[in-house]
Amino acid sequence: MTTSSSPAPRTKTAVGNPRPSPQWWLTLAGAVLLVASAFLSWCYVPALLGDLSIDAYPGGLQMLMVIVGVIAIFFLVLRSGRMPSMDTLLDSARALKALSATAAGFMVLVALVIALQAPGLANANPGLFVGIVGAALMVAGSWQMASDPLVDPITVRLPSWVEILVIVVMMTIVLFGAAFALGQEDGTVFCLFLVFLGGVVTALARGGLFSWISVIAARHRQVLMMGALAVAFLFPFTQNGSDANMSIATQVLIFATTALGLNIVVGLAGLLDLGYIAFLGAGAYVSAMMSHSAFAHIGWKPPFIVVVVIGAIVSSILGLIIGSPTLRVSGDYLAIVTLAFGEIFRLTVNNLDGNNGPRLTNGPNGIPGIPDLEIGSFNFGDTHTILGIPLGRFANYYFLMLVVAAFIIMVFTRLNSSRIGRGWVAIREDEKAAEAMGVNTFGLKLFAFAGGAFLAGMAGTIKAHQDVSVTPDQYIFLESAFLLAAIVLGGMGSVAGVLVGATVLKLLPEKLRFVADYRLLIFGLLLVVMMRFRPEGLVPSQRRALEFHADDEDLADRIEEVHLEIAAEPDPAEAKA
Amino acid sequence: MDLFFQQLLNGLTLGSLYALIAVGYTVVYGIVQIINFAHGEVFMIGAFGAMATWTVLFQGNTSLWVLPLMIVGAVASSVVVAVLMERIAYRPLRHAPRLAPLITAIGISVFLQEAIRLFYPGAKSALPFPRIDVVTGTALTLGPLTVRRSAIFTIGSLIVCAALLWFFINRTKLGRGMLAVSQDKDTARLMGINVDRIIAVAFGLGAALAGVAGVAQGLQNNNIDFFMGFLAGLKAFTAAVLGGIGNVMGAVLGGLVLGVVEAMAVQFIPGTFGGSPWKDVWAFALLIIVLVFRPQGLLGARVVDRA
Amino acid sequence: MSTQTLQPTAPAPRTFGAPVLEASGVVMRFGGLTAVNDVNLTVREGEIMGLIGPNGAGKTTFFNCLTGMYKPTEGEVKFLGTVLPPKPRSVVKAGMARTFQNIRLFGNMTALENVMVGRYCRTNAMALTSIIRGPKYRREEAESRRIAQEWLDFVGLGHTSEHLARNLPYGDQRRLEIARALATDPRLILLDEPTAGMNPKETEQAKDLIFRIRDKGLAVVVIEHDMRFIFSLCDRVHCLVRGETLIEGSPQEVQSDHRVIEAYIGQPDEDEEEMVAEAHAQDEAAPSTPAATDGRMKEDRA
Ligand SMILES: Nc1ncnc2c1ncn2[C@@H]1O[C@H](COP(=O)(O)OP(=O)(O)OP(=O)(O)O)[C@@H](O)[C@H]1O
Ligand SMILES: [Mg+2]
Repeated sequence: MTTSSSPAPRTKTAVGNPRPSPQWWLTLAGAVLLVASAFLSWCYVPALLGDLSIDAYPGGLQMLMVIVGVIAIFFLVLRSGRMPSMDTLLDSARALKALSATAAGFMVLVALVIALQAPGLANANPGLFVGIVGAALMVAGSWQMASDPLVDPITVRLPSWVEILVIVVMMTIVLFGAAFALGQEDGTVFCLFLVFLGGVVTALARGGLFSWISVIAARHRQVLMMGALAVAFLFPFTQNGSDANMSIATQVLIFATTALGLNIVVGLAGLLDLGYIAFLGAGAYVSAMMSHSAFAHIGWKPPFIVVVVIGAIVSSILGLIIGSPTLRVSGDYLAIVTLAFGEIFRLTVNNLDGNNGPRLTNGPNGIPGIPDLEIGSFNFGDTHTILGIPLGRFANYYFLMLVVAAFIIMVFTRLNSSRIGRGWVAIREDEKAAEAMGVNTFGLKLFAFAGGAFLAGMAGTIKAHQDVSVTPDQYIFLESAFLLAAIVLGGMGSVAGVLVGATVLKLLPEKLRFVADYRLLIFGLLLVVMMRFRPEGLVPSQRRALEFHADDEDLADRIEEVHLEIAAEPDPAEAKA
Repeated sequence: MDLFFQQLLNGLTLGSLYALIAVGYTVVYGIVQIINFAHGEVFMIGAFGAMATWTVLFQGNTSLWVLPLMIVGAVASSVVVAVLMERIAYRPLRHAPRLAPLITAIGISVFLQEAIRLFYPGAKSALPFPRIDVVTGTALTLGPLTVRRSAIFTIGSLIVCAALLWFFINRTKLGRGMLAVSQDKDTARLMGINVDRIIAVAFGLGAALAGVAGVAQGLQNNNIDFFMGFLAGLKAFTAAVLGGIGNVMGAVLGGLVLGVVEAMAVQFIPGTFGGSPWKDVWAFALLIIVLVFRPQGLLGARVVDRA
Repeated sequence: MSTQTLQPTAPAPRTFGAPVLEASGVVMRFGGLTAVNDVNLTVREGEIMGLIGPNGAGKTTFFNCLTGMYKPTEGEVKFLGTVLPPKPRSVVKAGMARTFQNIRLFGNMTALENVMVGRYCRTNAMALTSIIRGPKYRREEAESRRIAQEWLDFVGLGHTSEHLARNLPYGDQRRLEIARALATDPRLILLDEPTAGMNPKETEQAKDLIFRIRDKGLAVVVIEHDMRFIFSLCDRVHCLVRGETLIEGSPQEVQSDHRVIEAYIGQPDEDEEEMVAEAHAQDEAAPSTPAATDGRMKEDRA
């Protein structure tokens, strides 16, 4: 490994640990015990926590502790000063502290679950106690470890292939992590997995791994995108034809796709649209009314691709109508206008049942019995086998949505970094000044509405078939708020952010059935807390982070630094052109 | 013609309710320039506060003297919720981009609805509101008009509240402090006015009126539910805009106008697009039209952005 | 201080081309307040016109009327012989660009991106083109980038192109605003207090910059409170007081007009050196925007 601009002189190895200290040995012993415990039985009761009762055959949860232990050992090796160039990048002490805390918390929770559900700690096996002791040793050892100074990751350059390898490894971990998480039927196990995930992510973040990875990711955007797409594409193949998870995954994808469309309006153009679900609804209703359902009242049944276009166009016309007030209204008022439009949509489809206005939508009953899509001879209801892996109905829709999502992501990123995108940023920053500099503010805002609506309409036409039925109560205000929440949670104006946000919002309630009833309560709280503590979202776009922290000079300097660094490198794509 | 007057009366009743809620939007907006989107929920909390007071203290008692205590319960719960909301959620965002308080408001809204739905016993479906002597019961007839007792209570509440409000704003020190803060926050602060306290008072004031509205709504409809704040809040917001947001007496006027328009629309729009299934559509359409074409409202003045 | 320093350093009487801007009878009322009252102004090709007047005289409001930010209550603004619709965008497109008294840059964009926004009205890549990104799109994008960089170099900010606008020092922000306006390919540029908050050295550079802009064949209108600056820069000076034209003429004429002195100081018998000195001192003591006291840009939440 090479470091191009030389980092600060390596005083840290001297400061840190010339010879492994007692603390170091203590932590190592803890980590080894933790790993060892996974190969012992934790509990007599096989029915509990996905079977932790067999010696020398770690169950899923035990594997998690193996992972924690191994990561801890990795950081310990770093700390011994054996890989100096890596060592300067990562803060092993902070990472170890977080890892120890995770291990300890996890073990205690497992012990608690066993005590409550086995029931009684009498059912615990020695392995559990070995693990607890290991975790405790780790905590004791790492607690007083001295943090070491970090080198700014942007000044370190590894060979390209190493960086790309890191991305690939990361993507693989994401793929199998997602498959594992979805595979957990048991809510308790899933929760424990979340504890593990949260802990490890925190540890790696505190260790400085993510700031390093984000620099790498910024350098290799294309690779990252392709990687993510590949992971998404491969996901159904890890499911062995099980429809349960694919149904959730498809739901998540539809939700994410719609949220991405909304992110054009909210994240890029900076307009708050609280009626966005109506566009999805418009697409879905068009698709339903033109389908072969017995309750569809439009006689014309064109091929699906035509339906998609019509749905998208109808939806974007609605978008134009909803967007037209932006000529005169902005800010909060605009948000309320869009909300009112959304409600009008819902009430209208709820009313058009023949008694109140023309018979189009069947009123509150909606349009049930929408048949599966059939494109050419490919029926989306059938199970197809590829490479020996059966792919069921939901997997089919999943792939279709993936194409739509990829399309929307492309539209999103390309618009963002174009003349139009600059216009949007200018409008967000200072609309009057933008207008005075010749930016067509009204046109751009209108386009954001219409474009976002177009994409949502597209998604809606597919959703109707996937859902089998279309009813007004799928398109209530709360759904719009949910979409908005995905964006707020993930990060305005950022694709990765929205994907994360949408996944969290859709996946967690599906998996955590026992919180299902508290879903909305938590969701409301989440919006408030996010706005208070991290308004730019979990994975923000840099510009949005700046906008939400107008007074934070350090952040501005820092982002500028990264920006300068990346701008200084010749972009391979541009170099070719 | 009788029908017209009957609808006028119904409209005024409805409008009084809107007006009581609308004041909350307008007072808060006048002072901190945010739309407290969760205000509809404050109204809902008021209704549940009244009901809780009755259930806990006077279960089964229908005498009139209970009513003032229910109102106190309603107002107290609304005010507490509104002030807490200001303190915890809005105050830290005072210098954030405008998107932030709006999203926070949506969050609070959903949170409060759900909190009631989950934790108020039996609130997963609509709950019957207590019946109180004199203000509920058989309707009175006044010539050709049918006057519901609760309507008299609602309109009466508005009159009393509007008078008290006028007195508060124009005749008390705190009220004049509010006027000062709404003119210019920074100068007001320099003049020794405690701006934070004034803002809290504004939230509390709006909430108090919303609490009263909650009781009125309960008496009118005979039942209340956790979702009642959503629609009522939106309509009241329309009323506030109609009257010119920031203008307190405008909100009262706007509420009455909106109520009457809605009542008339239900009665007099002919064909399949008339009648009650479409009434909310027309209300929302009116909201849009007002926001787009007369955002300064009937009484407000348009603010020009200076270059 | 001698009268010597007040002599214009601009080249001796120059001849100017055809009128670029002809504003006649412009009136702007806000309710009862008449901010601009019956102002006539003609600016010719290659001319630098100064617009002076005490605080609140209506200078900025007059700019807003010219650039379509406000629709004048009465009067007509002709640009290159045609009456412009009161829409900022059409005005820019027609070739009139401006800067703002209180800097209104896009703080979270880089300097280069700011200037590229100025190119917006001269490019036309629409949605589909931007998504498909054919050769034509890429050519246009590269072209705007190049032109934007050229303007940055022109105002002397070439090295800051990748810096965030909000991180730039105050003087650079003013120059960046000028570059952004220039990027719209204007025939006439309106500068609202371009040297407010600058130190003498920066002011000198700004003067040089304005001369270079003029030498590119643009007409310039400058609002300034710094009399020394105005009189040494402009070919003609127009003085507004309480919304009305007091006098328009060569710097010498305006400078020696006692009504101008009165308007600024309100004491007719003070002699003129003192008036200019005082006006200048006042200006430096109290920069006209709050932002000037702080090198960074503050968002105005007006
Ligand atoms: N949008 C507006 N609404 C009401 N009054 C306004 C508006 N814009 C400007 N004014 C008023 O018009 C008058 C002229 O203001 P203007 O900003 O044009 O002065 P100015 O000559 O640019 O002063 P300065 O030298 O301080 O910049 C002032 O009294 C101001 O208060
Ligand atoms: Mg001015």
